[in-house]
Amino acid sequence: MRNLLDFIVRYSHLLLFLLLEAVAIWLITHYQSYSQATLFTSANQMVAGINEAGANTANYFQLSRQNEQLNEQICQLQTEVQQLRNRLEQYAEDSGWQDSIPYHYAHLGYRIIPAKVIDITTHQEHNFLTLNKGKRDGIKSGMGVICGESIVGVVSKVNEHFALVVPLIHTSINISARIKKNGEIGFTHWNGMQSHYVQLMEIGRHTSIEEGDTIITSGMTSTFPEGMMIGIADKVRLDDGDNYYDIRLRLSTDFGKLNYVQVLDNTMRNEIDSLHDE
Amino acid sequence: MNNVLRHIVRIVLLILLQGLFVNNLHWLGVFHPYIYIIGLVMLPMTLPRWAEMLVGAAVGLIMDAICSTAGVHMAACVAISYVRPLLVGRLVQESQRIATQTCTNTIGAWQCLTTAAIMIVLHHSLVLVLEHWSLAHGWWLLMNIILSSLVTFVLFFLYDRTQQ
Repeated sequence: MRNLLDFIVRYSHLLLFLLLEAVAIWLITHYQSYSQATLFTSANQMVAGINEAGANTANYFQLSRQNEQLNEQICQLQTEVQQLRNRLEQYAEDSGWQDSIPYHYAHLGYRIIPAKVIDITTHQEHNFLTLNKGKRDGIKSGMGVICGESIVGVVSKVNEHFALVVPLIHTSINISARIKKNGEIGFTHWNGMQSHYVQLMEIGRHTSIEEGDTIITSGMTSTFPEGMMIGIADKVRLDDGDNYYDIRLRLSTDFGKLNYVQVLDNTMRNEIDSLHDE
Repeated sequence: MNNVLRHIVRIVLLILLQGLFVNNLHWLGVFHPYIYIIGLVMLPMTLPRWAEMLVGAAVGLIMDAICSTAGVHMAACVAISYVRPLLVGRLVQESQRIATQTCTNTIGAWQCLTTAAIMIVLHHSLVLVLEHWSLAHGWWLLMNIILSSLVTFVLFFLYDRTQQ
Protein backbone atom coordinates (compact mmCIF):
# COMPACT_ATOMS: atom_id res chain seq x y z
CA MET A 1 0.00 0.00 0.00
CA ARG A 2 2.81 2.35 1.00
CA ASN A 3 4.63 1.48 -2.17
CA LEU A 4 1.58 2.22 -4.22
CA LEU A 5 1.17 5.62 -2.56
CA ASP A 6 4.85 6.36 -3.12
CA PHE A 7 4.46 5.42 -6.74
CA ILE A 8 1.42 7.67 -7.18
CA VAL A 9 3.12 10.62 -5.48
CA ARG A 10 6.31 10.14 -7.44
CA TYR A 11 4.66 9.88 -10.82
CA SER A 12 1.69 12.13 -10.10
CA HIS A 13 2.52 14.51 -12.95
CA LEU A 14 2.95 11.73 -15.46
CA LEU A 15 -0.29 10.12 -14.27
CA LEU A 16 -2.21 13.39 -14.56
CA PHE A 17 -0.72 13.88 -18.02
CA LEU A 18 -1.75 10.39 -19.12
CA LEU A 19 -5.23 10.85 -17.64
CA LEU A 20 -5.82 14.13 -19.49
CA GLU A 21 -4.45 12.70 -22.74
CA ALA A 22 -6.71 9.66 -22.31
CA VAL A 23 -9.72 11.98 -21.99
CA ALA A 24 -8.62 13.86 -25.14
CA ILE A 25 -8.07 10.66 -27.12
CA TRP A 26 -11.44 9.38 -25.97
CA LEU A 27 -13.07 12.62 -27.17
CA ILE A 28 -11.29 12.33 -30.53
CA THR A 29 -12.26 8.73 -31.17
CA HIS A 30 -15.76 9.11 -29.78
CA TYR A 31 -16.64 12.24 -31.77
CA GLN A 32 -14.59 11.50 -34.83
CA SER A 33 -17.47 10.11 -36.83
CA TYR A 34 -19.18 13.04 -38.41
CA SER A 35 -22.73 12.13 -37.58
CA GLN A 36 -22.06 11.85 -33.85
CA ALA A 37 -20.54 15.28 -33.53
CA THR A 38 -23.50 16.86 -31.81
CA LEU A 39 -21.84 18.29 -28.74
CA PHE A 40 -18.96 19.96 -30.49
CA THR A 41 -20.26 20.98 -33.89
CA SER A 42 -20.58 24.60 -34.80
CA ALA A 43 -24.31 24.15 -35.07
CA ASN A 44 -24.08 24.17 -31.31
CA GLN A 45 -26.05 27.31 -30.51
CA MET A 46 -23.59 29.09 -28.24
CA VAL A 47 -20.51 28.64 -30.40
CA ALA A 48 -22.56 29.42 -33.49
CA GLY A 49 -23.46 32.72 -31.82
CA ILE A 50 -19.78 33.57 -31.32
CA ASN A 51 -18.98 32.53 -34.87
CA GLU A 52 -21.78 34.70 -36.21
CA ALA A 53 -20.30 37.69 -34.38
CA GLY A 54 -16.93 36.84 -35.90
CA ALA A 55 -18.36 36.54 -39.38
CA ASN A 56 -20.14 39.87 -38.97
CA THR A 57 -16.89 41.62 -38.08
CA ALA A 58 -15.06 39.97 -40.93
CA ASN A 59 -17.89 41.09 -43.22
CA TYR A 60 -17.06 44.76 -42.91
CA PHE A 61 -13.61 44.24 -44.34
CA GLN A 62 -14.99 42.49 -47.39
CA LEU A 63 -17.88 44.78 -48.25
CA SER A 64 -16.34 46.39 -51.29
CA ARG A 65 -15.32 43.08 -52.83
CA GLN A 66 -18.77 41.67 -52.14
CA ASN A 67 -20.35 44.62 -53.87
CA GLU A 68 -18.26 43.91 -56.92
CA GLN A 69 -19.27 40.27 -56.89
CA LEU A 70 -22.95 41.15 -56.46
CA ASN A 71 -22.71 43.57 -59.31
CA GLU A 72 -21.16 40.93 -61.52
CA GLN A 73 -23.90 38.50 -60.60
CA ILE A 74 -26.60 41.07 -61.34
CA CYS A 75 -25.10 41.65 -64.75
CA GLN A 76 -24.91 37.97 -65.50
CA LEU A 77 -28.49 37.47 -64.37
CA GLN A 78 -29.70 40.38 -66.45
CA THR A 79 -28.10 38.96 -69.56
CA GLU A 80 -29.57 35.58 -68.77
CA VAL A 81 -33.04 37.02 -68.25
CA GLN A 82 -32.73 38.80 -71.56
CA GLN A 83 -31.64 35.65 -73.35
CA LEU A 84 -34.44 33.60 -71.80
CA ARG A 85 -36.97 36.26 -72.66
CA ASN A 86 -35.81 36.22 -76.26
CA ARG A 87 -36.01 32.46 -76.39
CA LEU A 88 -39.48 32.46 -74.83
CA GLU A 89 -40.69 34.90 -77.44
CA GLN A 90 -39.15 32.70 -80.08
CA TYR A 91 -40.93 29.62 -78.73
CA ALA A 92 -44.17 31.50 -78.42
CA GLU A 93 -43.90 32.58 -82.03
CA ASP A 94 -43.01 29.07 -83.20
CA SER A 95 -45.71 27.22 -81.32
CA GLY A 96 -48.32 29.92 -81.27
CA TRP A 97 -49.11 29.04 -77.66
CA GLN A 98 -47.21 30.12 -74.56
CA ASP A 99 -48.55 27.94 -71.79
CA SER A 100 -46.32 24.92 -72.22
CA ILE A 101 -43.11 26.63 -71.12
CA PRO A 102 -44.17 28.24 -67.84
CA TYR A 103 -45.88 24.96 -66.96
CA HIS A 104 -42.63 23.10 -67.43
CA TYR A 105 -40.60 25.57 -65.37
CA ALA A 106 -43.00 25.71 -62.46
CA HIS A 107 -43.13 21.96 -62.12
CA LEU A 108 -39.41 21.32 -62.23
CA GLY A 109 -38.82 24.40 -60.13
CA TYR A 110 -36.47 24.87 -57.25
CA ARG A 111 -37.30 27.36 -54.54
CA ILE A 112 -34.22 29.38 -53.62
CA ILE A 113 -33.49 30.32 -49.99
CA PRO A 114 -30.66 32.86 -49.59
CA ALA A 115 -28.35 32.29 -46.61
CA LYS A 116 -25.12 33.59 -45.20
CA VAL A 117 -22.08 31.52 -44.24
CA ILE A 118 -21.19 32.28 -40.62
CA ASP A 119 -18.47 29.68 -40.16
CA ILE A 120 -16.40 27.64 -42.56
CA THR A 121 -13.41 25.36 -42.31
CA THR A 122 -11.27 24.50 -45.33
CA HIS A 123 -8.14 22.99 -43.82
CA GLN A 124 -9.57 19.92 -42.15
CA GLU A 125 -10.40 16.56 -43.60
CA HIS A 126 -14.03 16.85 -42.50
CA ASN A 127 -14.79 20.42 -43.43
CA PHE A 128 -18.16 22.03 -42.93
CA LEU A 129 -20.04 25.30 -43.27
CA THR A 130 -22.55 26.78 -40.87
CA LEU A 131 -25.39 28.84 -42.36
CA ASN A 132 -27.43 31.47 -40.53
CA LYS A 133 -30.75 29.93 -41.66
CA GLY A 134 -32.41 26.84 -40.22
CA LYS A 135 -35.68 24.95 -39.90
CA ARG A 136 -37.52 28.18 -39.28
CA ASP A 137 -36.60 29.37 -42.78
CA GLY A 138 -37.61 26.10 -44.40
CA ILE A 139 -34.22 24.45 -44.68
CA LYS A 140 -34.18 20.67 -44.41
CA SER A 141 -31.32 18.21 -44.43
CA GLY A 142 -30.45 16.89 -47.87
CA MET A 143 -31.01 20.19 -49.69
CA GLY A 144 -28.37 21.35 -52.15
CA VAL A 145 -26.36 24.53 -51.53
CA ILE A 146 -25.03 26.68 -54.37
CA CYS A 147 -23.24 29.97 -54.83
CA GLY A 148 -24.34 31.61 -58.04
CA GLU A 149 -23.88 29.00 -60.75
CA SER A 150 -21.50 26.74 -58.80
CA ILE A 151 -22.37 24.08 -56.29
CA VAL A 152 -21.13 24.28 -52.71
CA GLY A 153 -22.41 21.21 -50.82
CA VAL A 154 -25.36 19.50 -49.19
CA VAL A 155 -27.18 20.43 -45.97
CA SER A 156 -26.46 17.78 -43.38
CA LYS A 157 -28.10 18.95 -40.18
CA VAL A 158 -30.50 21.72 -39.21
CA ASN A 159 -31.72 23.16 -35.98
CA GLU A 160 -34.09 26.06 -35.40
CA HIS A 161 -31.78 28.88 -36.57
CA PHE A 162 -28.70 27.30 -38.12
CA ALA A 163 -27.82 24.69 -40.69
CA LEU A 164 -24.69 22.60 -41.09
CA VAL A 165 -23.50 21.98 -44.66
CA VAL A 166 -21.12 19.28 -45.83
CA PRO A 167 -19.15 20.96 -48.66
CA LEU A 168 -17.62 19.38 -51.77
CA ILE A 169 -14.31 19.46 -49.90
CA HIS A 170 -15.30 16.81 -47.34
CA THR A 171 -13.74 13.38 -47.66
CA SER A 172 -17.00 11.50 -47.32
CA ILE A 173 -19.18 13.35 -49.83
CA ASN A 174 -19.55 12.35 -53.48
CA ILE A 175 -21.51 14.41 -56.00
CA SER A 176 -22.72 12.93 -59.24
CA ALA A 177 -21.01 14.79 -62.09
CA ARG A 178 -21.06 14.91 -65.88
CA ILE A 179 -18.54 15.95 -68.51
CA LYS A 180 -20.36 18.72 -70.32
CA LYS A 181 -19.12 18.00 -73.85
CA ASN A 182 -19.93 14.29 -74.04
CA GLY A 183 -22.30 13.62 -71.14
CA GLU A 184 -20.11 10.94 -69.50
CA ILE A 185 -21.05 10.49 -65.83
CA GLY A 186 -18.78 10.07 -62.81
CA PHE A 187 -18.64 11.46 -59.31
CA THR A 188 -16.47 13.85 -57.33
CA HIS A 189 -14.29 12.83 -54.44
CA TRP A 190 -12.04 14.95 -52.21
CA ASN A 191 -8.73 13.54 -50.99
CA GLY A 192 -8.44 15.87 -47.99
CA MET A 193 -5.59 18.02 -49.31
CA GLN A 194 -6.09 21.29 -51.18
CA SER A 195 -9.36 23.13 -50.89
CA HIS A 196 -9.30 24.30 -54.52
CA TYR A 197 -9.32 20.86 -56.10
CA VAL A 198 -11.36 17.66 -56.08
CA GLN A 199 -10.92 14.37 -57.94
CA LEU A 200 -13.33 13.18 -60.63
CA MET A 201 -13.78 9.41 -60.33
CA GLU A 202 -15.10 6.58 -62.49
CA ILE A 203 -14.36 8.11 -65.88
CA GLY A 204 -13.43 5.09 -67.99
CA ARG A 205 -10.51 5.04 -70.45
CA HIS A 206 -12.76 4.89 -73.49
CA THR A 207 -13.96 8.42 -72.76
CA SER A 208 -12.33 11.44 -74.32
CA ILE A 209 -11.51 14.12 -71.79
CA GLU A 210 -8.96 16.87 -71.91
CA GLU A 211 -7.63 19.50 -69.58
CA GLY A 212 -9.96 22.49 -69.67
CA ASP A 213 -13.15 20.48 -70.06
CA THR A 214 -16.11 21.71 -68.03
CA ILE A 215 -17.65 19.42 -65.41
CA ILE A 216 -21.28 20.00 -64.39
CA THR A 217 -23.83 18.32 -62.14
CA SER A 218 -25.49 15.32 -63.75
CA GLY A 219 -29.06 15.94 -62.62
CA MET A 220 -29.22 12.29 -61.56
CA THR A 221 -30.22 13.24 -58.02
CA SER A 222 -32.96 15.55 -56.85
CA THR A 223 -30.47 17.63 -54.85
CA PHE A 224 -29.11 19.69 -57.74
CA PRO A 225 -30.64 20.48 -61.12
CA GLU A 226 -28.66 19.39 -64.14
CA GLY A 227 -25.95 21.65 -65.49
CA MET A 228 -24.75 23.47 -62.37
CA MET A 229 -21.05 24.22 -62.50
CA ILE A 230 -18.66 22.01 -60.50
CA GLY A 231 -15.29 22.84 -61.98
CA ILE A 232 -12.80 22.60 -64.81
CA ALA A 233 -10.60 19.55 -65.48
CA ASP A 234 -7.17 20.74 -64.52
CA LYS A 235 -4.97 17.64 -64.61
CA VAL A 236 -5.89 14.56 -66.64
CA ARG A 237 -3.77 11.41 -66.44
CA LEU A 238 -4.25 7.89 -67.70
CA ASP A 239 -1.59 5.34 -66.73
CA ASP A 240 -1.08 2.25 -68.85
CA GLY A 241 -3.18 -0.55 -67.45
CA ASP A 242 -5.54 1.73 -65.60
CA ASN A 243 -9.20 1.46 -66.44
CA TYR A 244 -10.09 4.85 -65.09
CA TYR A 245 -8.67 8.32 -65.59
CA ASP A 246 -6.96 10.24 -62.81
CA ILE A 247 -8.70 13.60 -63.09
CA ARG A 248 -8.22 16.65 -60.91
CA LEU A 249 -10.85 19.40 -61.07
CA ARG A 250 -10.27 23.01 -60.21
CA LEU A 251 -13.44 23.90 -58.29
CA SER A 252 -15.37 26.89 -59.53
CA THR A 253 -16.42 27.64 -55.93
CA ASP A 254 -13.73 29.47 -53.97
CA PHE A 255 -14.37 28.11 -50.47
CA GLY A 256 -11.89 30.57 -48.97
CA LYS A 257 -14.06 33.52 -49.99
CA LEU A 258 -17.50 32.01 -49.60
CA ASN A 259 -19.94 34.39 -47.95
CA TYR A 260 -23.45 34.36 -49.36
CA VAL A 261 -24.98 31.13 -50.66
CA GLN A 262 -28.34 29.91 -51.92
CA VAL A 263 -30.09 26.79 -50.63
CA LEU A 264 -32.12 24.86 -53.21
CA ASP A 265 -35.46 23.48 -52.15
CA ASN A 266 -36.61 21.03 -54.76
CA THR A 267 -40.36 21.37 -54.57
CA MET A 268 -40.75 18.12 -56.48
CA ARG A 269 -38.46 16.18 -54.19
CA ASN A 270 -41.11 14.34 -52.21
CA GLU A 271 -42.79 13.20 -55.39
CA ILE A 272 -39.53 11.92 -56.85
CA ASP A 273 -38.53 10.21 -53.60
CA SER A 274 -41.90 8.56 -53.17
CA LEU A 275 -41.46 6.98 -56.62
CA HIS A 276 -38.18 5.46 -55.46
CA ASP A 277 -39.78 4.12 -52.32
CA GLU A 278 -42.58 2.34 -54.09
CA MET B 1 -3.10 38.85 -8.18
CA ASN B 2 -2.34 41.39 -10.83
CA ASN B 3 -0.11 38.88 -12.57
CA VAL B 4 -2.75 36.13 -12.50
CA LEU B 5 -5.23 38.54 -14.04
CA ARG B 6 -2.75 39.44 -16.77
CA HIS B 7 -2.35 35.80 -17.78
CA ILE B 8 -6.09 35.14 -17.77
CA VAL B 9 -6.81 38.23 -19.87
CA ARG B 10 -4.01 37.33 -22.31
CA ILE B 11 -5.23 33.75 -22.76
CA VAL B 12 -8.86 34.82 -23.25
CA LEU B 13 -7.91 37.54 -25.75
CA LEU B 14 -5.68 35.15 -27.71
CA ILE B 15 -8.45 32.53 -27.86
CA LEU B 16 -10.90 35.15 -29.14
CA LEU B 17 -8.35 36.42 -31.66
CA GLN B 18 -7.75 32.85 -32.85
CA GLY B 19 -11.44 31.93 -33.05
CA LEU B 20 -12.82 35.15 -34.51
CA PHE B 21 -9.99 36.29 -36.72
CA VAL B 22 -7.11 33.91 -37.47
CA ASN B 23 -9.38 30.90 -38.13
CA ASN B 24 -11.30 33.00 -40.67
CA LEU B 25 -8.21 33.98 -42.62
CA HIS B 26 -7.52 31.31 -45.17
CA TRP B 27 -3.79 31.57 -45.44
CA LEU B 28 -3.50 30.26 -49.01
CA GLY B 29 -4.94 26.98 -47.76
CA VAL B 30 -1.43 25.76 -46.99
CA PHE B 31 -0.74 26.92 -43.46
CA HIS B 32 -2.80 27.50 -40.42
CA PRO B 33 -1.10 29.16 -37.42
CA TYR B 34 -2.44 28.59 -33.90
CA ILE B 35 -1.46 31.74 -32.04
CA TYR B 36 -3.55 31.02 -28.95
CA ILE B 37 -0.80 28.77 -27.54
CA ILE B 38 1.38 31.84 -27.02
CA GLY B 39 -0.64 32.26 -23.80
CA LEU B 40 0.49 28.81 -22.66
CA VAL B 41 4.12 29.43 -23.65
CA MET B 42 4.25 32.60 -21.55
CA LEU B 43 2.80 31.17 -18.31
CA PRO B 44 5.03 31.77 -15.27
CA MET B 45 7.72 29.14 -14.71
CA THR B 46 6.90 28.77 -11.04
CA LEU B 47 3.41 27.50 -11.81
CA PRO B 48 2.84 23.99 -10.34
CA ARG B 49 2.90 21.34 -13.03
CA TRP B 50 -0.59 20.02 -12.28
CA ALA B 51 -2.01 23.54 -12.59
CA GLU B 52 -0.21 24.09 -15.87
CA MET B 53 -1.63 20.88 -17.34
CA LEU B 54 -5.15 21.75 -16.19
CA VAL B 55 -4.87 25.21 -17.75
CA GLY B 56 -3.64 23.56 -20.96
CA ALA B 57 -6.55 21.09 -20.95
CA ALA B 58 -9.11 23.87 -20.39
CA VAL B 59 -7.67 26.11 -23.12
CA GLY B 60 -7.55 23.13 -25.50
CA LEU B 61 -11.17 22.20 -24.78
CA ILE B 62 -12.39 25.75 -25.44
CA MET B 63 -10.47 25.79 -28.73
CA ASP B 64 -11.98 22.41 -29.62
CA ALA B 65 -15.47 23.78 -29.10
CA ILE B 66 -14.69 26.73 -31.38
CA CYS B 67 -12.98 24.66 -34.10
CA SER B 68 -15.36 21.66 -33.77
CA THR B 69 -12.42 19.30 -33.36
CA ALA B 70 -13.35 17.34 -30.23
CA GLY B 71 -10.20 16.52 -28.27
CA VAL B 72 -7.55 17.44 -30.85
CA HIS B 73 -6.51 20.77 -29.35
CA MET B 74 -6.91 19.40 -25.84
CA ALA B 75 -4.46 16.58 -26.55
CA ALA B 76 -1.91 18.95 -28.09
CA CYS B 77 -2.22 21.59 -25.35
CA VAL B 78 -1.90 19.05 -22.54
CA ALA B 79 1.19 17.65 -24.26
CA ILE B 80 2.95 21.03 -24.52
CA SER B 81 1.94 21.93 -20.96
CA TYR B 82 3.55 18.67 -19.81
CA VAL B 83 6.69 19.26 -21.83
CA ARG B 84 7.28 22.91 -20.91
CA PRO B 85 8.49 22.36 -17.30
CA LEU B 86 10.84 19.64 -18.59
CA LEU B 87 12.33 22.08 -21.10
CA VAL B 88 12.56 24.82 -18.49
CA GLY B 89 14.27 22.37 -16.10
CA ARG B 90 16.91 21.67 -18.74
CA LEU B 91 17.44 25.18 -20.07
CA VAL B 92 16.96 27.61 -17.19
CA GLN B 93 18.78 27.66 -13.86
CA GLU B 94 16.59 27.50 -10.79
CA SER B 95 17.59 30.99 -9.61
CA GLN B 96 16.49 32.47 -12.92
CA ARG B 97 12.97 31.02 -12.93
CA ILE B 98 10.85 34.08 -12.51
CA ALA B 99 7.30 34.11 -11.26
CA THR B 100 5.89 36.77 -13.58
CA GLN B 101 5.98 35.34 -17.07
CA THR B 102 8.16 33.53 -19.58
CA CYS B 103 9.66 35.83 -22.21
CA THR B 104 13.09 36.73 -23.56
CA ASN B 105 13.48 39.62 -21.11
CA THR B 106 12.91 37.48 -18.03
CA ILE B 107 14.85 34.30 -18.82
CA GLY B 108 17.17 35.16 -21.69
CA ALA B 109 16.71 35.08 -25.43
CA TRP B 110 17.81 31.65 -26.55
CA GLN B 111 16.26 29.78 -23.59
CA CYS B 112 12.91 31.42 -24.24
CA LEU B 113 12.96 31.06 -28.02
CA THR B 114 14.06 27.41 -27.87
CA THR B 115 11.28 26.59 -25.41
CA ALA B 116 8.74 28.40 -27.57
CA ALA B 117 9.96 26.81 -30.80
CA ILE B 118 9.82 23.25 -29.43
CA MET B 119 6.35 23.82 -27.93
CA ILE B 120 5.00 25.37 -31.13
CA VAL B 121 6.33 22.64 -33.42
CA LEU B 122 5.09 19.91 -31.06
CA HIS B 123 1.63 21.48 -30.81
CA HIS B 124 1.20 22.09 -34.54
CA SER B 125 2.44 18.59 -35.41
CA LEU B 126 0.03 16.97 -32.96
CA VAL B 127 -2.94 19.06 -34.07
CA LEU B 128 -2.38 18.42 -37.77
CA VAL B 129 -1.63 14.71 -37.40
CA LEU B 130 -4.55 14.10 -35.03
CA GLU B 131 -6.91 16.15 -37.19
CA HIS B 132 -6.09 14.18 -40.31
CA TRP B 133 -5.81 10.97 -38.32
CA SER B 134 -3.25 9.54 -40.70
CA LEU B 135 0.27 10.05 -41.97
CA ALA B 136 -0.81 9.71 -45.60
CA HIS B 137 0.13 12.72 -47.74
CA GLY B 138 3.28 12.91 -45.58
CA TRP B 139 5.07 15.66 -47.50
CA TRP B 140 2.07 17.91 -47.64
CA LEU B 141 1.53 17.41 -43.91
CA LEU B 142 5.18 18.12 -43.15
CA MET B 143 5.17 21.29 -45.21
CA ASN B 144 1.95 22.39 -43.53
CA ILE B 145 3.45 21.80 -40.06
CA ILE B 146 6.67 23.67 -40.88
CA LEU B 147 4.98 26.70 -42.47
CA SER B 148 2.29 26.98 -39.78
CA SER B 149 4.83 26.68 -36.96
CA LEU B 150 7.00 29.30 -38.62
CA VAL B 151 4.15 31.81 -38.78
CA THR B 152 3.17 31.18 -35.15
CA PHE B 153 6.82 31.48 -34.09
CA VAL B 154 7.31 34.79 -35.89
CA LEU B 155 4.12 36.16 -34.31
CA PHE B 156 5.32 34.95 -30.90
CA PHE B 157 8.69 36.67 -31.49
CA LEU B 158 6.99 39.96 -32.41
CA TYR B 159 4.66 39.80 -29.42
CA ASP B 160 7.56 38.93 -27.13
CA ARG B 161 9.34 42.15 -28.16
CA THR B 162 6.53 44.15 -26.56
CA GLN B 163 6.87 42.41 -23.19
CA GLN B 164 9.02 43.62 -20.29
